[in-house]
Amino acid sequence: MKPNSRFPIPQGTLDMFILQIVSLEAAHGYGIAQRLEQISRSVVQVNQGSLYPALHRLEQKGWLKAKWRESETGREAKFYELTAAGKKQLAAEKDSWAKLAGAVRLIFGEGEP
Amino acid sequence: MMRRAWNWARARRRKLESDLERELRYHVERRMQDFEREGLNAGEARRRALAEIGGVEQVREEVRDEWLARWARDFAYDLRYAARSLARTPAFTLTAVASLALGIGSAAAIYSMVDQVLLHALPVRDPQRLVLVDWDGEQVASGFGSWDLMSYPICREMDKQKQFFDGVFCRALTRVNFSSGGEFEPEVIEVVSGNYFGVLGVGAAAGRVLAESDDGAPGASPVAVISYDYWKLRMGGARDIAGRKIWINRQPFTVVGVAAEGFRGVDVGEVPVAWTPAAMSAEAIPGFTEYLSPRQRWMQVLGRLADGMTRERAQVGLGPWFRAMLDEDMKRADFPKVSAETRREYLASKLVLKGAAQGHSSLRRRLVKPLWVLMAATGVLLGLACLNVSGLFLARGSAREREMGTRLALGASRGRLGRGCLADSLLIGAAGGLLGTAAAPVALRGLIALLADGQKGTALNAAIDGRLLGFAVAASVAAGIVSGLAPAWASGRRGVTEALRERGGTAGGARLRRAIVTGQMALTLVLVAEAALFARTLERLMTKGPGFATAGMVTFRVEPTRGGYTAGQTRRLMERLEEAVRRSPVTVSVGVEGVPLLTGGSWNDPMTIQTDRRFETDRDMNLNAVTPEFFPTMGIRIVAGRNFDERDEAKAEDAGALVAIVNEAFVKRYMGGRSPLGARIGEGTGPDKKAEIEIVGVMSDFSYRGIREESEMAVFPFRANGGAGGTFYVKVRGAGPAAMAALRDAVRRIAPELPMLDFRTVDEQVDRSLTTERALASLAESFSGAALALSLVGLYGVMSFVVARRRKEIGIRMALGARRGSAVWLVMKDALAMIVPGAAAGLAAVWGMGRLVEAVLYGVTPMDAGALGAAIGLLALAGLGAAAIPARRASGVDPAEALRAE
Repeated sequence: MKPNSRFPIPQGTLDMFILQIVSLEAAHGYGIAQRLEQISRSVVQVNQGSLYPALHRLEQKGWLKAKWRESETGREAKFYELTAAGKKQLAAEKDSWAKLAGAVRLIFGEGEP
Repeated sequence: MMRRAWNWARARRRKLESDLERELRYHVERRMQDFEREGLNAGEARRRALAEIGGVEQVREEVRDEWLARWARDFAYDLRYAARSLARTPAFTLTAVASLALGIGSAAAIYSMVDQVLLHALPVRDPQRLVLVDWDGEQVASGFGSWDLMSYPICREMDKQKQFFDGVFCRALTRVNFSSGGEFEPEVIEVVSGNYFGVLGVGAAAGRVLAESDDGAPGASPVAVISYDYWKLRMGGARDIAGRKIWINRQPFTVVGVAAEGFRGVDVGEVPVAWTPAAMSAEAIPGFTEYLSPRQRWMQVLGRLADGMTRERAQVGLGPWFRAMLDEDMKRADFPKVSAETRREYLASKLVLKGAAQGHSSLRRRLVKPLWVLMAATGVLLGLACLNVSGLFLARGSAREREMGTRLALGASRGRLGRGCLADSLLIGAAGGLLGTAAAPVALRGLIALLADGQKGTALNAAIDGRLLGFAVAASVAAGIVSGLAPAWASGRRGVTEALRERGGTAGGARLRRAIVTGQMALTLVLVAEAALFARTLERLMTKGPGFATAGMVTFRVEPTRGGYTAGQTRRLMERLEEAVRRSPVTVSVGVEGVPLLTGGSWNDPMTIQTDRRFETDRDMNLNAVTPEFFPTMGIRIVAGRNFDERDEAKAEDAGALVAIVNEAFVKRYMGGRSPLGARIGEGTGPDKKAEIEIVGVMSDFSYRGIREESEMAVFPFRANGGAGGTFYVKVRGAGPAAMAALRDAVRRIAPELPMLDFRTVDEQVDRSLTTERALASLAESFSGAALALSLVGLYGVMSFVVARRRKEIGIRMALGARRGSAVWLVMKDALAMIVPGAAAGLAAVWGMGRLVEAVLYGVTPMDAGALGAAIGLLALAGLGAAAIPARRASGVDPAEALRAE
């Protein structure tokens, strides 16, 4: 696919992606950016510039917590991980996303028996 | 504490920023490595990495927005939560709001006075460039007027020094009989140099303002500009105002225009109704024909500094011109023959430039110290109100401890809880500020009446203006923060388990509350002590009295020369008036004197004294002219020698004063206590000054300028005052109002067109002369009353709390056989432990304020033992009284019940 055919990420989904990525293992900003790139495989376009505001927003909401520790290159990096509240939030978002996706399929007639 | 919180907040902010910086740097460097691996050079890699995230600064800005959004969200939430919880406890909320409203309202009202009287710049072009020019040294000139006086010619000369000034003007306030067609009324006008409006940059609302051409040959241009307020209120705001006639002291003047709206002259204390050129001063100031003489100082000189010129540079730069002018002046043929000493002092004179953005005002001079004292007092009161609210919050906090503990356990951060407390107190501060601001105009109206009454027509305004509002907002926010600090700190310190486990308050909370009550005691002592000092000052002044009779006395003043009478006519009129008053059935006796008493002004001059040697007084003596009946009527005793008689009066009419009566202070200072009878004095000093006036008597001391002042005086026969008007002092029988009506009739029959000025009882006149002292005493009294109420509520609250917490301990003590008295003592001891250190700290503060307060005291020092003792006694008594109720409750504890309750 050509790069310009990637569609921009819908509002609010970036937060969900980040929670999902971090739920697997603690990660720093660069790492999360790499993972986003891999997972979305050029399907969605993630502006790297909006990653950091999102991380800080999630941290302030108490869904992520951050620690400085040594990264794979040996340098100190800020690692984010999920809090208990973050886990609950991710579960809730997955649930509501599944419901929404089901509803969309239903409306477009794909899921009809 | 504020400072620590501020530093903490700053350090936290710095940490956040540096962490973000590190985080972004890590990201960019990792991306650069990626790109370099793809074969890009370092610079290109860096460019790509930065472009990818849209610039580091951009990202940082967005992250900061996130922080702020979160803070604002939390704060809005805190405010909502605070509003709800405050609404649930209306009694608490009302008490707290009322405390702050009291503090903020009184501080805002006093601040507005301070602002209007002391700080407010004139509504003219660029007021900051205005300076007052003052002569520091000997002027060899005789003066009349208020302060900072110089002559008209020197003002005109200075106006030519264009390298320093964009213009120099002069002005003098004068009281006149004024009419715009109706009856003559006493009003104030400003006599000004022709460039007055031009230099100030004030235009006309109608017609034109005065110009240089109006200030030409003496008496040539009888023109006037009237004030906007007079035009609107008294002349209906007529558009065709230019060309109309007004009358000043019965002389017709042509109105050329109306001054701009909002411009009320350069004196906030005395607002003129009109301005006339100095060239017409003989008409505005009857009998004054020497306005062009450099020997007459009667005007204030104000200038506008030239562009780029500073006050310091202009002052230095004027030096050479001024010295040359002094030299030249002294070579003049008509320069007075004065002693070598006086010549030397004259030549050593300097010009001093003072900032005059606020204009020139004697009201400011009178009120500057009292107002700063009052501002300090309301500051103390506001601090006290904040402490009171802190105490209330802590008390509520210990009741809400479980709620706080629960929130902590649910994961709220300490900082969050502390901020919740701040939101509470900010809301209280805002509500208190609103209420206080609403009440401020009422307080302000009272203050103006109290402090500036009798000062007819001031520019003071009791409305809420932007500056009062600004002050109130700042005070409310500050009060909100200050009163929330202690509770916020306390809420942050409590542990979760501790808070949930403990049922009563924690020891820490009680300690903090005690500290707050101790602080309240200290501030209260300051206010009570100042109130005692001011009350004592007033009492001392009243006890001292003016030194003449006041009961059953009425006074009024007439100024026939302002009614168009010549000196000779005035002399005859005064005699007819005196006779008519004497004949009135209500009159017991009547005395007349020249210069009014107890108004702050006087006729004064240095004197030459001839005894067995010849010498000069080392300071001005106060002089006056009186009729022989003045002494018995006023109850002023002739302690040696004789009173004036008819022959003295007759001679004085032709030859001026030939005899004088001096007071006891004169005898003490200049005669070493020996009899002055037969010695001679002369008005003025200098080698050829003749001392020809014989001292024929000595009178008891009495007050002239004011009750505070004790001065050397000499009085001459009344007719020696050159045919000016005079003040009548009448001893009357019967009630004041009836007697005053009868006197008014008597004067009306002879001179119906002459206003009776300052017509009042002498008791009232004495009262008026003590306006400032009375205002200070009564304001300080109300402040200290409010302070006592606030701090006693605080003390009572803490003691009740302590008694409730110590019920078990008291119960055990009782069970073990302690007497009820010992339980009372236990509580009282606790109260004393707050009152005593509080009073000690308060004493230290009183000592610290000594310099500020000293200037307004009389007959008592700032650390007067009696006054301070009384204040401490009152505080201790009231404090123990407030503690007595909880103490009684403690003594009523039933041991069995108290132990069972646990």
